[in-house]
Amino acid sequence: MIHLSSSDRPINGGPWQQGGADSHLRDTDVIPTQNRQQDLPDVEGLQGDFIGRRGRIFGLALKTSIFTVLTLGIYRFWMKTRMRRWYWSAVRVGGVPGEYVGDPFEKLLGFLIAVVILAFYIGIVNLLLMFLSYSFFQDNFAAYLLSFVGVVPLWFYATYRARRYVLARTRWRGIRFGLEPGAWGYAWRALVHWGLTLLTAGVLWPRMTFWLEKYKTDRTWYGDVRLEQEGRWQMLFPAVRHVLLPTIVGGICAIAGAYANPALFLVTAACGVWFAFGIVYYRVKSWEILTNAKRAGDIVFRAQPSPGRVFWIYVGGYFLSGFVASIFLGGFFLAAAIAAGIFSEIGASVEALAKIGEGAFAVAGVATYFAIFLIWTAMAHAFITMPLWKHYAETLTVIDPGQIGAISQRPRDEFEEAEGFAEALDVGAAI
Amino acid sequence: MTSTIPTVIRVGKTAEGQQVNGLFFTGEDATAHEVALTINPMRDVLEIRGRGQVVDWHLSDVRLVPDQAGRQGLVLRAASDPTARVLTNDRVLAQGFPALHKRIADAPRARLAKWAVAALASVALIIFVLVPIMANQLANFIPPAGEKALGDATLEQIKSALGSEAISVKTCTNADGLVALNQMQARLSDHTDLPVPLTVTVLDHKMVNAFALPGGHVVFMRGLIDEAEAPEEVAAVFAHEIGHVVSRDPTRHALRSAGSIGVLGLLFGDFAGGALVLFLTEQLIEAQYSQGAEVAADAFAHDMLAKAEVEPAALGAMFKRLKAKYGDTDGIQAHFISHPRMAERIEAADHATPEGFVAKPILTAEAWKDLQGICN
Repeated sequence: MIHLSSSDRPINGGPWQQGGADSHLRDTDVIPTQNRQQDLPDVEGLQGDFIGRRGRIFGLALKTSIFTVLTLGIYRFWMKTRMRRWYWSAVRVGGVPGEYVGDPFEKLLGFLIAVVILAFYIGIVNLLLMFLSYSFFQDNFAAYLLSFVGVVPLWFYATYRARRYVLARTRWRGIRFGLEPGAWGYAWRALVHWGLTLLTAGVLWPRMTFWLEKYKTDRTWYGDVRLEQEGRWQMLFPAVRHVLLPTIVGGICAIAGAYANPALFLVTAACGVWFAFGIVYYRVKSWEILTNAKRAGDIVFRAQPSPGRVFWIYVGGYFLSGFVASIFLGGFFLAAAIAAGIFSEIGASVEALAKIGEGAFAVAGVATYFAIFLIWTAMAHAFITMPLWKHYAETLTVIDPGQIGAISQRPRDEFEEAEGFAEALDVGAAI
Repeated sequence: MTSTIPTVIRVGKTAEGQQVNGLFFTGEDATAHEVALTINPMRDVLEIRGRGQVVDWHLSDVRLVPDQAGRQGLVLRAASDPTARVLTNDRVLAQGFPALHKRIADAPRARLAKWAVAALASVALIIFVLVPIMANQLANFIPPAGEKALGDATLEQIKSALGSEAISVKTCTNADGLVALNQMQARLSDHTDLPVPLTVTVLDHKMVNAFALPGGHVVFMRGLIDEAEAPEEVAAVFAHEIGHVVSRDPTRHALRSAGSIGVLGLLFGDFAGGALVLFLTEQLIEAQYSQGAEVAADAFAHDMLAKAEVEPAALGAMFKRLKAKYGDTDGIQAHFISHPRMAERIEAADHATPEGFVAKPILTAEAWKDLQGICN
């Protein structure tokens, strides 16, 4: 059963507009963003929902990744497109699904454009670096380091470009999203923020999170409405507490354990788990705080994801996916061991096994190797990515004081290069 | 405000003439129009009717938006309109649209072919022309210390790759065996000037193989010594590998790999098991550029052997046995093996023996026994 929204009502209707002429005043301009939700009691939100089923995404991920392997990777552009269509259509806000309209051919084209540019850089520059590194340092460490450092700005650049492409191909209620050009601006800002974060041992991490998010949000459009990131970076400090506390407690206990009671090392070990939770907590909480401080015109958001729930999705999902994939890994090692001739070397060779031939086992080994990746991909979608999307979607409410119907379409962003750079550089994305 | 679409009002038994409720998005603004949807068989259209909305979509123009997560209801579009959408929570209409699953290409695809050709051409240019030219040139300029370091690093990589788990493959160090190996090396290099001092290593591995690495490294696998029936056969392979050292093939190769591996990684990406495809492709490229080098190394070996009073046909003898045991490398497999076909090499070796040639044994029977026991 789809619940379709009927928010096509005239702008001057609805109970929240009884204030009449004042209604266009943005009350959130004068109150701290954290308190915003309490000030909009009468406005009924467009509730987020996720209607996708686990079995379907497992099947789709498995099927499309098999095609990807069989086509030596070419199908991955189609795989990505189909997976995104599915995820986007599963998310419903106010009953209306999102839509992903990216085209696999344009992804392939964008990828080829990126390859033309990057092949030159990577082929020639890596060769030169390797030569110089061995010539002057008798070592390849300098080459690897410089090669890596050279790719870092490109990596941020690609991240922003990929976001621009994905937003330009995302629609909701028939209206396009969009992101203004600004990838180099993002790349150098990201470099500076990362530098500051590393120099301050992570203390300025919230500052980086906030300013990079603000850079992206303030350039994001929904139709003809520009999104805004409000608030201050200091508001993210509470979110970082489960990262800082275990670091401090764990550190003290490690020192105390070394000089006084070795049993305190157990506390340090426990702090490791706490720290892992802290990272998840920070990601969830900072997302919540930042989302609740965003606006698109008069439209605001209420996100209430649970860090504990997200943590358990990660723990359970990775455990389950890893367990299932490792069953295949056992078969892989068996086949690989036979192929490598270890069996014959330790004298355990059976006549029948030898007849099948080492070649057949090598093929079996390769097939299992692929099977592990396929199973892992499908499991990770069904038990990690999808539950995460579901949780974030279900805990999101879009609060629209009757303005949404007036939002107009924006022109199509052709953007031929698509997410080619991100694809070529393997800039990680969940899907 | 959310509301649920009321239940379907069924007028007829088929999709035709039935009226269902839905939402219509014009693609011009974000307003959700509550509409009634009817298939009109007389006019062959889907009638979309709501307050202020009178839109007709031709039935053959109606498409299902693909890969929907929702199993109930329909998300529809018109092929001719990229942005307008109709949502309904009833699937009964679906049977009324003849081209529901037909593909639509919204994105312009005309430029794809041009870019595809340009991309592949430039990658080919980089891998097959630019990188080899640069590698060939740079190989002449890399200082000896750097070249040696490159070879040392590569040897370590090979040793750990051939070993199992965390244990590298063993280097053979039997003292008598090493003496015999040195004798062989001295005899071969006596009459030929070498640009770099040789570093000879025997690895305790059953693979029948030998190879050269940058910086004067020559590496034998135990399997090759086991397989040889006479020390001259080992000497022949030795001379061949020295041929590679002299022409600095391994250095070129190492520099070439540094350039081309990254580019191939770019092309194949991180899809499932991409690393494996990468490896196979790298092997394929290898075969492309080292055939000429192999023939040159063979020719160098024939010359060196003749000068050292060893019959050049010994190289052929080794190959003959390998051929009898493993067969020639015709067919698909031939592309993955970097050496020219053995039959051709055996013939070349047989023809390389000058007339009236008198051979002198390269090792005494005792020294040959020592060499065979180098890994004990």
